[in-house]
Amino acid sequence: MLPENTTPCGFPPEWKFPLDETKKKQSLAAIRLEASRKHIRHYPTFREQLWNQLRFRSWKHWLLQGLLLLAAMLLAVALRRRNTSGTETLAACSVFLVFAGNICLCHVADLFSWHMAELEQTLYLNLKQMVCIRILEAGIADFVILSLLLILTGSGSPGETKAALTYMLVPFLWSDTLYLHMLASLRNIASGFRSFALGLLCGSLALFPLLWESIYQPGYLIIWQVLAVAGLLMCIAQINRLLGSIENSDTICQTS
Amino acid sequence: MPELTLDRITKHFKNKIAVDNASLTLREGVYGFLGANGAGKTTLLRMICGVLKPTSGEIRCNGTEIGRLDGDYRYLLGYLPQDFGYYPDFTAKRYLEYLAACKAVPKDLAKGKVQEMLTLTGLTGSQHGKIRTFSGGMIRRLGIAQALLNDPEILILDEPTAGLDPKERIRFRNIISSLSKGRIIILSTHIVSDVEFIADKILLMKQGRIVKQGTVAEVTESVTGKVWEYLARPEEAGRLNDIFAVSSLKNEGEMVRLRLVSDKRPCEGAVLAPPGLEDVYLYHDTRGKSSKNPIFEEVSEHVDNLERRTL
Repeated sequence: MLPENTTPCGFPPEWKFPLDETKKKQSLAAIRLEASRKHIRHYPTFREQLWNQLRFRSWKHWLLQGLLLLAAMLLAVALRRRNTSGTETLAACSVFLVFAGNICLCHVADLFSWHMAELEQTLYLNLKQMVCIRILEAGIADFVILSLLLILTGSGSPGETKAALTYMLVPFLWSDTLYLHMLASLRNIASGFRSFALGLLCGSLALFPLLWESIYQPGYLIIWQVLAVAGLLMCIAQINRLLGSIENSDTICQTS
Repeated sequence: MPELTLDRITKHFKNKIAVDNASLTLREGVYGFLGANGAGKTTLLRMICGVLKPTSGEIRCNGTEIGRLDGDYRYLLGYLPQDFGYYPDFTAKRYLEYLAACKAVPKDLAKGKVQEMLTLTGLTGSQHGKIRTFSGGMIRRLGIAQALLNDPEILILDEPTAGLDPKERIRFRNIISSLSKGRIIILSTHIVSDVEFIADKILLMKQGRIVKQGTVAEVTESVTGKVWEYLARPEEAGRLNDIFAVSSLKNEGEMVRLRLVSDKRPCEGAVLAPPGLEDVYLYHDTRGKSSKNPIFEEVSEHVDNLERRTL
């Protein structure tokens, strides 16, 4: 028989084990240490991945982007003030947009810098995903510049703005197509000289319509529209080709 | 703990077979792939990393094909390619921080992890230097640091010690040994001593095939009775050198001590010697080749590739 007011173990009911605070602290510290060592899976969100690609850009890149935007604004204002002819305005904006497109795509080409492609393909955010993110970022930057040029140089009438958009888009889309084609074929075009030469070539090609001023007449708009659609399709095809070449990766390891 | 299964992996490049029907199961431990240049080691490692797709066969991680696991598989990976890529304009610290972000290392842990890796590889003092100014050894150490950044469960290192000096090489081996618990570590090299002391299993590759696998003791055992030592006159040494695979030559006064690898006694007076891993490498590498002069050049080239155990 147990005496009254005792537990089956023989202790009074209000009795508790005395806590050793030092031991408790030590144990908790040990648990915390083990928990901190534990590998906890982290799934970065799309927004986080976008930001990661942006935050590691060099200051040179940001400076170039800033200068580009500033130049676009100055160009538009200057053209408006001088009251230049529509043809000259379109040609100047086209060349500018071509350069802007090439500069923005440089950041995609950087991914193929000095054997990086092989390593990037094994990262959690792999090469294909990085290319997609950077093309998206380049597209957004181009869109901002294009909108700026259209707003500041446009006449205000929707028809004319639409036509100006088509005239500017054609050289831009075809130069981007050429850039992406070169990137898929040669890979390492991030090097200064190749990139500069390509930009110069595309810029010169964008000036060609100036030789036939009548080509900006409304009668030829349909040709421009066809060229814009073809350019867009070609651009998509080249992006697809670039991503496909990463996917079928036999050539990735040959980049230099 | 991951388990990697390579199920009849073959890789063709146009008409060339780079890897031929390789089957393996890899569990916790250090695996050392040994083979001459062009044996297929790098191609096999690239397929395990998912950089290259096998022409036929499957690579599975815990029973699931690695392509289907996609990011979940890459999350487990740490890879040091043979031609290690970097952004020349980045500093070492920035480069590691960037890769930590791409490897999905949580932001709050990344900074500490980067510093830990810089310390581990002895690059703390150069962390603010641009990579373009680094020496070959420093770049290699940076490569090792980036491979370990995400605490990978599958660590793949292709020629990790190329360009490292003897002290760095020993340090690297110690790092790998200390990391081997709870991971699959795959090393590829043609430097025998790199894997001899740390690999739990040796895999010998030749012409795209895994010709021998086992522990160092098991693999070495396979050439017992095939390694000979002989003290020869210089002219005789030259003749034997032309005919047999020679793993070492050492001048001893007027004579030359030869270490030969051969199925049969190469000459009268040759005595059996205990085999080493280098002998196994040489035995399998020269097996099936005729014993004419061009082979001597080839063997000599491989002997040059073998690093003597002087570390």
